[in-house]
Order: sequence, then structure tokens, then C-alpha cells
Amino acid sequence: MKKMKKKFFVVLMVLPFLAFTGAHKFYVSVTNITYSAKDDALQVTTRIFIDDLEKVLQERYGIDAGLATEWEAELAEQHIKKYLRSKFVVYLDEKPVTYEFLGREYDNDVVICYLEIAKINFSERSSITVQNEVLTDLFDEQQNIVHFKWHNKKKSFVLVRENNKGMLNL
Amino acid sequence: MNKIKYYFASILFLSGAVLMAQEEEGKEERKPGHYNQSRFKQLYEEFSTPNTYRSASGAPGPDYYQQQADYVMDIELDDKNAKLYGEETITYYNNSPDDLEFLWVQLDQNVRAKDSKSPLRNGGGVPLAYRTSSFSSEYLTEPFEGGFHIDYVKDANGKPLSYTINQTMMRINIPNALKSGQQTSFSIKWWYNIPNHTINRARSGYEYFAKDGNRAYVIAQFFPRMAVYSDVEGWQNHQFWGSGEFALPFGNYEVNITVPADHILDATGVLQNRKEVFTKDMMKRYEQAKKSYDKPVLIVTQEEAEAAEKGFAEKKKTWKFKTEPGQMVRDFGFATSRKFIWDMQAVKISGKDVMAVSLYPKEGNPLWEDLSTKAVASTLKSYSEHTFDYPYHKAISVHAKNQGMEYPMICWNYGRPREDGTYDDRTKYGMISVIIHEVGHNFFPMIVNSDERQWGWMDEGLDTFMQYVAEQEFGEANPDVIAPNDKYPSRRGEPSKIVPYMSGDQDYISPIMSNPENVYQLGPNAYGKPATALNILRETVMGRELFDHAFKTYSQRWKFKHPTPEDFFRTMEDASAVDLDWYWRGWFYTTDYVDIGVKDVKKYYVSNKPTKEMEEYMATRNLTEADLPPLVYLAEEGSEDYSDDLKGKAPSETSTTLKAYMMDNMTEEERAKVQEPKYFYEVTFDKPGGIPMPLIVEYTYADGTTENVTYPPEIWRKNDAEVKRVISSQKELVGIVVDPKLETADIDTTNNAWPLKDEKSDFDQFKEKVKGK
Repeated sequence: MKKMKKKFFVVLMVLPFLAFTGAHKFYVSVTNITYSAKDDALQVTTRIFIDDLEKVLQERYGIDAGLATEWEAELAEQHIKKYLRSKFVVYLDEKPVTYEFLGREYDNDVVICYLEIAKINFSERSSITVQNEVLTDLFDEQQNIVHFKWHNKKKSFVLVRENNKGMLNL
Repeated sequence: MNKIKYYFASILFLSGAVLMAQEEEGKEERKPGHYNQSRFKQLYEEFSTPNTYRSASGAPGPDYYQQQADYVMDIELDDKNAKLYGEETITYYNNSPDDLEFLWVQLDQNVRAKDSKSPLRNGGGVPLAYRTSSFSSEYLTEPFEGGFHIDYVKDANGKPLSYTINQTMMRINIPNALKSGQQTSFSIKWWYNIPNHTINRARSGYEYFAKDGNRAYVIAQFFPRMAVYSDVEGWQNHQFWGSGEFALPFGNYEVNITVPADHILDATGVLQNRKEVFTKDMMKRYEQAKKSYDKPVLIVTQEEAEAAEKGFAEKKKTWKFKTEPGQMVRDFGFATSRKFIWDMQAVKISGKDVMAVSLYPKEGNPLWEDLSTKAVASTLKSYSEHTFDYPYHKAISVHAKNQGMEYPMICWNYGRPREDGTYDDRTKYGMISVIIHEVGHNFFPMIVNSDERQWGWMDEGLDTFMQYVAEQEFGEANPDVIAPNDKYPSRRGEPSKIVPYMSGDQDYISPIMSNPENVYQLGPNAYGKPATALNILRETVMGRELFDHAFKTYSQRWKFKHPTPEDFFRTMEDASAVDLDWYWRGWFYTTDYVDIGVKDVKKYYVSNKPTKEMEEYMATRNLTEADLPPLVYLAEEGSEDYSDDLKGKAPSETSTTLKAYMMDNMTEEERAKVQEPKYFYEVTFDKPGGIPMPLIVEYTYADGTTENVTYPPEIWRKNDAEVKRVISSQKELVGIVVDPKLETADIDTTNNAWPLKDEKSDFDQFKEKVKGK
């Protein structure tokens, strides 16, 4: 039985973001990409509404994922990985790189996926590009917000279907 | 001599920083002058000048007026073709001091007309790929044939009135101006195609159930409605583009709605012909429900609803509703379907009975029969407690897929279990939360009738704030429902939850004081941020007692009236004696954020010798120690003034002048009682964020004890960037944390602690957990 995880620690980099209660639903995901000098790695957390993600898994792969329920489908993680690989791509110097899917956890109505791109030779890189089309295949209004953080610097992008890439020149 | 001493003593009050600044002055270029840039400056420039309509206190002024629009309507639903037909007579009362040359009527359905400009107002290029259904609806199929078809507009004598339609607004060209104090009546006949609200997120329409071939209708914005004419906007005829909701005058309603005879219907207003439309069983159950205060009674059971959905009555039935005298509404909505299950219970609000009501198709069960009416009842109690007694006789929650929309006495709410009846916590809490929110909208904006077209936050923000309070109270009253949680998992309201929005890209953030059509993310802008701002105001800035009284005062001053943002801001100050202009400015008028930190801590000990800086100062002025009054000096640890033997000593042990002073001015008994501080610290707090907030500090000492001090926000009034405080203690200070309980929505907490904490990031913690050490 998978249990909803309660958070006790203070969340610094990644915080729950807002969606909707009330009149309207807002289609938003928030991704934080932080460079860790210690590991020379890009640490990625992406926060997606569970119901939106379930809907896309249902439409694309026909699975009723039941995320964050007691009967969550065993295939769920595999399909989330598959979906993310097709919709979330990171480029270093304009070449796509692979990332490791470390896992995921739930926070209220949001699933947080943890991805890592290790040993990237950051100091020799001239650009990082992120292409985030998560849920734009399902919702016209989907906005994917990406925050980069590196060496105390910050840069944010709001990616939508027509403008799905954000490039960071280092 | 004495004079010199006093002169000197007064100079000593000047801080080191100022002295240094004076020395450097000569080198600097003269800066240009500036306007008052203080963050504590009063909002005279942002606020309009108070007048006889709206007082400086925030209350309605002696000449406050509002218009009134009464409606008599006959409505008929064509269930086979999903069309709605209507005929209305509007009686409009001009209570303003102005003569009106024309009247403006809102045609909200026209936002779905084929020629609507609403879809044309957004830019966007070619995407990488289209979803097939989007491509099809965009390029292959004809758009939905929505919008009002106006059959006629006639005056009270049945003569046609000229009118001009501009998108969602219709100007009635009355032949003679409607004089101040007069009233006029006119009639409109219309029809429109009801949209399927599950397809394009309309606020009203139908949901089609393919399995049984029935529709469930939630109907609103279904009739031409009077626009608001007021002292602040004149006619509020800003078009309905889709995001900015509604501005509506109060009035009395008399509405007859004809639907298939097998439909179950409920609506705004008091049902006038209950005996005609209810079966005998329903009447009996209704009488029971009126006396049931602890749980709902089913008026129509699931079994009965399931039997009804197998048929399709050709016969019709007319349900008649009327608002009660003195209890005007600003709008009208209804829900109707043969699929509806119906339950009700009574709620006592200050001795008066109100019915909490739910309407839902079987697809909502088992969730809806368990929780909907419970949530309605709890909401009415919580909101009434914090604002005013709920004035209407009922509040209805209707289950409609994906909906969350409010009307007087009635609202539509989502929360659907899976087909097998199971549901997860997300669906459950989503449903309870949306019911609390939408029922709560009865207070804001249905009764405290703000202008949603112009200010989305005035109802959404206040309602989302109250929703947070009501959710927490629901959790306290129903521990069994929220178990195993120990408090209700509110999605909005907690300060930390607004941080991602407020720390986001400034290019995509608008101030709360923006029109809802023009903001990038309406959710955090009009719901989350104002709700959080009010929650922080209540818990941290004003305290519950002052806040609750002021919030209640605002609600009571403006119930059944049209408030503006300034009426709210002014009332909150008027009723509490807390100057909040700085708070409104920072949180509501700007996109500033909160970021306060601890920048530097210096340790000092009492010394008997003047410090080097002091000696230099004396030398330049040709003074010797003998010229000075008795002084106490503080030597910074690690500086050349410091030596280890100063550490940990009582000041009177080290400073002979202090010892002498104590001997001269205190009795032996008094001296014995003095607890001399041995440690002195100069703490520098900085404020990278624009919003001044109370400086909440937790000091931790070597023996493990802590001390909490809250410096008022005014500590920033003369120095917006940083401020210093001297801390004295008998114990060594080992830690300082700013905002230890995360009460202020501080967007960057990495600078909040001294000494700096090397906290593991979220990511590293997660990685450790999944990978092991």
C-alpha cells in the first residue's frame, strides 16, 4: 500500500504552487532545474497536477493509473517515465541528454517527479535548453513554468504549446 | 564644561554609519531630489478622494445609492433540443442623482456566439502538433451556434424599443431619459442553444450522460441582465470576455420555469408552488428535512432518480420561484434534470432555520450523499460567524462535472467518484473545498456585491480567505471525515503556498489590483495571493481579534451594497486603528515580495577604555577623556579594542564609570537585584524584498532557551534596506532565525538564519531516500 507522504521539512527550492479552487481550473506545472556544484549535476523537480497527469495517461496509454490511491497501478511509474521522456527534454549545448528518473512523491493534489542529469561538465557548457511540452498535448491552455537556478542566478520561463523551449545561455 | 559634555553626549547618539557618511560627503556627487518614496506613505495618490457617496471611513456615505432591477420571467426548457426560451419584464429603478439617456443590458451568452470576439483576442503561433480534437474543432467543424437570439425588446405599452448590440452588451435606446428617482419597465423575449459545459468549460450548460441519454442542466447567465450603474463606474459596460465575471444590481425576482414533468429542479428564490410540483412522498420527506438538524433527509432517492432516468416525460411542469421581500438577489440560477437525487437538512443560524440542500445525479454517489449537504451546512455556520447571518432561506450545492460556479443560493460543484463508486482523497477534498468555496460566494459577491468584472480578487480573494478559515473549522468539527489528517488539507491560505508565485518571473506577475482579463495567472493572482495576504494580516500583522472585528465590520457595512477595494482597505483600518497603507501598497498594488534576512552579527563586551574609533574621534576634536562625561564603551570581539579578559564579565566589573554610576544612583539593595548582561550583539537584519513586514525573530541562547521578539513593520520606515538592533543578554547568543514559523511568505529562507544553516535541499533529501546513503 502506497501512502500519501507527509512533509515535515521546510521546503526551500520547490514549493507547492497554486492551481484552482472555485470557479476555474488552471493548467500549470512548475519545474525547478537547479545546478548542484557538489555533484556537477542538474537536479530537476517537476510538479504536475495528479488529475491532469492521470487524464493524459488515460488518453495516451489507456491506463487508469489511480495515482496516490491504495490501488495505484503498478505500471503507473513506467508510464509516467515514458510520458516525461517524450515531453520533457533537456539539451546541453543544443544536444539532447538523458536523465535518470529518481522517483516521485505526492503532495496534496500534486505529483513531484525527481530527475537528475549527472556529471554535465557545467563549466564547459555554453547553453542549457529545456523543452517542456508536458500536458500541452491535452490542454490548449497548459502553461509549464520552468525556473533555472545556478550559482545564485535565476532565470524563469513560461512555456506554452507554441513556445515550448527555453534556452539559457551560460 | 558641563555644556560641552552634554553637547558631546548628544553627538554620541549618532550612529557610526552616520558619522562615516558625513566624512565621505564631500566626495559624492549631489543626488537629485525625489518625491516621497517611503513604503509607509499613505495611499492618497492611489485612492480616490472620499466623497458623500463613499466615506473616508470606508462606510457608505450619506448620499450612497444603488440601482435596482426587478425581473419577472417565464422560462421554458426544450430538453430534446437543448434550447432555452425566455421572456422577461425588467423594472429598472434609477436611484442615482443622474438622468439616464439609455440603459445597458448584458448579453453574456454572446461570448459563445459564432461572431464572438473573445476567441480572437489571444495570440499564438503554430504549435509543434495539434491534438486531433483541437485540430478538428479549430479547422474542420463549425463553431457552436451559441449566443442570444433576441426576438424583441418592447416598452411597457408593448411598443418596440430600439436597441443596439455591441458584443455582450445591449444598449436600450429609450425615447426619453430615465430621470433620477424614476422607474421604467420593458420586456425582452429571447432564446439560445444551451452549450455542453463539459466541452468548453462554460460556466453553465448541460452535461450529457450517454449511458441513459439524459442531460443534467446547470443554467445561469441565461437571461439579459441589467448592467450596474454606480457612482464609481457610471455604467459598468466592460465587455464579458470570459475571465472577468459579473457586475449585477440587486432586485426582486419572480421566475416561472417550465421543464419536462419528470425533472427535479431547484433555483434561486422561494419555491411558490411546492404542492403542485412535489409528490405526496416528497412533501412528507420535506417536512422531515425541515426538522432534521444533524443529517440530510432524501427528498428524491437514488432509486427514484434511476427510475426517472429511464423515461422521458412529454408532459410539462412549471416550477415557480420568488425572492422574499427585503431579501433581494443580484442574479438567478437553476439546475434541472430527471437524473437528480435531492437531499436537505436544516441549519440553525442565530435562531433562524436555513435549509442546506444538495442535488446530484447518481454518478456523484456515494460521495455526494455523504458529504455535500454536510459541507453546505458547515459553510453557512462558519461564514455567518465571521461576517453576518446568512440571510436567505436555503443554500444549494449541485453536482456538475468539472464545475465550480456560484449564484445566489445555488452553486455547481465538481467531485465525481469513479464509475465503480470508489474515490480518492483528492476527489473528496476537492469536492468539499469547492463546495465551501462556492457556497461561500453567497457572502462574497452575492451579498457583499463587489464588481467582479473590474476586481476579480474582491470576491475570489475574500472568499478564498474565508474558505481557508471555513475548511479549518470544517476539519475541527468533523475529525472523522478528515482522518487520518489532523487538520483539513487546505490548498490555499498558508503563507508558504504563495511563495512559488510571488518569487516567480516578474514579467508574468501582475499586481492584485489588476483587471482579471489582463493577468497572466488568475488563480494565484485573484484567489491565492489575496487570500494569503488576508490570512497573514489576520494571524501575524493584526492578530485575530482586531482583524476579525474589522473584517466583520466591512461585511456588515457592505452587505446588500456595492463596495470598492478602497471601501475594504479603509474599513479594515477604520475598525482596527492599524495603519495598513503600507500593507495594501506592498501586497495589493505592487508585485513586490517578502524577503527578510539576518545579515551580520557582531559580538561586543563592555570595556573601560575608549575604542580606537572613539580615540580618533576625540583626537580630531582635541578632546581628552577628562573632557568627557562618564561613558561606557563596547569593544567588538576580534578588534584591537578587545582582549579575552573582557569576555563573560559583568559590565560593572569592567567599567569603572558604570560602577561609580551604580554606587551613586542605586541603593545596595537595588544593586543586588540588577542582573547585568554580559554579552552584547549588534545584529544587522536586511530586507532584499520590497514588502516591509513585521520582523519576527527567534533568538536562541547557549543554555537552549529561546526568546521571540516581533519588531513592528515600522522598523523599516527609515531604512528600507537594512536595520540594526543591539541585543544584550546574560547568556551567550548562539542562533538567530528570522520568521521561524514561516508566517510571512518570505520567498528566500536561505538568508533567514545565523549562523547559516547548511540544510540539505529537497532534492538531495529525496535522492538519499530512494538511493540510500
